[in-house]
Amino acid sequence: MAPPPATAVADAMNPPARPRDSQANIDIMAVTKGFHWPWLIALLFALAGVGLAAATLAWQTYEGLGVAGYQAPVFWGVYIITFVFWIGIGHAGTLISAILFLFRAKWRNAINRGAETMTVFAVLTAALFPLIHIGRLWKFYFLLPYPNQRYLWVNFKSPLLWDVFAVNTYLTISVLFFLVGLIPDIAIARDRAVGWKKVVYTILSAGWQGTGQQWKAHSRAVLHLSGLATPLVLSVHSIVSWDFAMSIVPGWHATIFAPYFVAGAIFGGFAMVVVVMVPVRRIFRLEPYITDYHFENMSRFILFTSLICGYAYGAEYFIAWYSAVEFEQTSFYQRAFGPYWFSTWCMIIFNVVMPQLLWIKKLRTNIPFLFVLCFFINLGMWFERYVIIITSLSREYIPAAWGLYIPSLVEMIVLTGSFCWFSMFFLLYLKMFPIIAISEVKELDIHARDHARDHAAHASGGAH
Amino acid sequence: MAELVSVYEFPSDVATVVRKLKARGFTDLTTYSPAPFEEIEMAEDPRPSKVRAFHLIGSLVGVVVGFGIQIWMSMDWPIKIAGKNIAAIPPMWIIGFELQTLFGGILVVAGLAILAGLYPRPLDRHYSPRFSAEEFGVVVRCEDRDAAEVESLMRGHNAKEVKRAEVH
Repeated sequence: MAPPPATAVADAMNPPARPRDSQANIDIMAVTKGFHWPWLIALLFALAGVGLAAATLAWQTYEGLGVAGYQAPVFWGVYIITFVFWIGIGHAGTLISAILFLFRAKWRNAINRGAETMTVFAVLTAALFPLIHIGRLWKFYFLLPYPNQRYLWVNFKSPLLWDVFAVNTYLTISVLFFLVGLIPDIAIARDRAVGWKKVVYTILSAGWQGTGQQWKAHSRAVLHLSGLATPLVLSVHSIVSWDFAMSIVPGWHATIFAPYFVAGAIFGGFAMVVVVMVPVRRIFRLEPYITDYHFENMSRFILFTSLICGYAYGAEYFIAWYSAVEFEQTSFYQRAFGPYWFSTWCMIIFNVVMPQLLWIKKLRTNIPFLFVLCFFINLGMWFERYVIIITSLSREYIPAAWGLYIPSLVEMIVLTGSFCWFSMFFLLYLKMFPIIAISEVKELDIHARDHARDHAAHASGGAH
Repeated sequence: MAELVSVYEFPSDVATVVRKLKARGFTDLTTYSPAPFEEIEMAEDPRPSKVRAFHLIGSLVGVVVGFGIQIWMSMDWPIKIAGKNIAAIPPMWIIGFELQTLFGGILVVAGLAILAGLYPRPLDRHYSPRFSAEEFGVVVRCEDRDAAEVESLMRGHNAKEVKRAEVH
C-alpha cells in the first residue's frame, strides 16, 4: 500500500483552524441549549395552570354560562375584559417591529423578536376569549360569513363583525411578520444543530443561505409588511374600541375611544415586554444584548403613553361633566365612588400616578423597579378594561335595572389559565428558537466594526 | 469554466469588489452574508425589488374582495338596519381595509418565497456555515482565462481567502 502524500499527512497533523463562530450566535443560541431550572419550574406551573383552566372550561361548556358571574344587566364580563387585555398586549410587538423599523430606531433590534413572539402568543390567547364568551364553543363559525341553508349572511354594519375581521387579519399578519423575520435566524440554528433539530430547522429555514438576492427580497418584504402592519395595529384596537363606542351605553359612547384604546394598548404592551424580558435576560445571561439602554427607551415609551392614558381618563370625566348629560355624569360618578371604586382607583394609580416616577432617570434604569412597576401597570390595564366594561353596563339609564357583577371562580381560573397558556407557548419557544433577532444584532455589530476600521484607516492617513 | 470562492470580513469590501467585478463584466456572481447590508444589495442589483408588485396586486385584490363580498352578501339577504342603505358603503371601508392588508401581506410573503427561492432544498455547493457566522462570501463564475484577473480583484479588496473550485 502506497504511503499517503506528504501534504495529506501535514493536513492531518495540522488541521485548519475551525472557523470562529460569531459570539452573538453562541450567546443567543445558548438559550435554546442546556437545562435551566427556572425555565422548567415556570413551564410546570404554566402546564398546571393550563390543565386546570382547560378542566374548568370543560365544566363551563358542559354546565353552560350560568357558572360564570353574569347577572342582569352585565353580560360582558371577565372573558371580554381579558380579550381586550390580551389584544392590547399584542400591540407592543408590532409597534416595536414595524413602527420603530419604519422610523429606523436601531435600538429595537435587541428586543423586537421577544416582543413579536409575545404579540403572536398574546393574540392567540386573545382569540380564544370570544369563543369562551359565547359559551357554545362549537358554534364559533357563526361569526364568519359562510353559505348556509338559511340564506343568512353576517351583519356587516356591526362592529362585532369588524372585530372578527380585524383580529384575524392582525393574527395572520403578525404571524407572517414573525416568521419572515425568523427565517434567517432559523438558518443560523440549522447550521449549528445536529440530529432531529437539524432536520426541523432545515425544513423551517426553507433553503435560506443569506444570498444577496434573498436578503434583498427579505429586506423589502419586511419593509412592506411594516408598512402594512403600522396602520393595521392602529386599526385593530380602534375597532376593538368601537365594539363599545358604537353603542349608546353611558361611558362607552365616546369619540376619544379609538386613540385612547390604542395608546392604552401600546402602554400595556410595552409594560408586558418589560415583565417578560427582565427574567429572560437574567436567567439566560443576555445582559450584553438587552441592555439598560433598551429598558430606558422602553420606559420612555411607557411614560409617554401613560400621559396619553392619563389625558384620556381626564378627558372622559371632563366631557361627562361638560356634556350635562345626567346619564354620563352618573356613570362616571359611579366609576369613582360607586361599588367599583376599587378598580377605578387601581387603574388611575397604577396607570397614571405610578409611571410618573419614570421622569427620574435613576428609576428608568433600575431594572428591578421597572419590573415591579410594569407588573402593576399590567394589573392597572386589566382593571381599566374592567372599569370600562363593568361599571358602564351595571349603571345604565334606568336605576331599577342597575345590577352588580362579581366574577365567579370559574372566570378567575380561566383568566389565570390565559396567563399560563401564554407563558407555556413563550417558554416552549425559548427552547426552540432564538429570542433575539441574531442577524439584526449582527448587522449593527458588523457595521460598527466596518466604520471603526474606516475611521482607523483615515486616522492613520491610509486607505483600506 | 472556473468558479472562484472568496471570503471577506467586512461588507464594504464585498460591496466594492462586487461593483468592480460587475464593471469588468463578471456578472455571474453570488454573495453570501450573515445579515442584511444595503450596500451589498445595491452593488449586486440596484433595481427595485419586485416584492412591491406582489404587494400592489394583493392589496388591490383584497380591497375588491372586501367590498365585493360585503355588497353581494348585503344584496343577497337584504335587511334594513338603522335606516341605512342595504349596501351602505361607509361601514364597508373597515372590512375593505382589513382585507386589503390581509391579502397584501399574504402576497408580500408569497413574493418573498418566489423571489428568494424559499422552499426546502439542498444548499448551494459553496455555502458555508461561516456565512451565517460573521463572514461574507463572494462566488464568481467566469471563463478559465479570466480566473487570474478575478482572483487578483478579490485579493486586492481584502479577501481573507480565495479558492478555485472545479465546475461540474
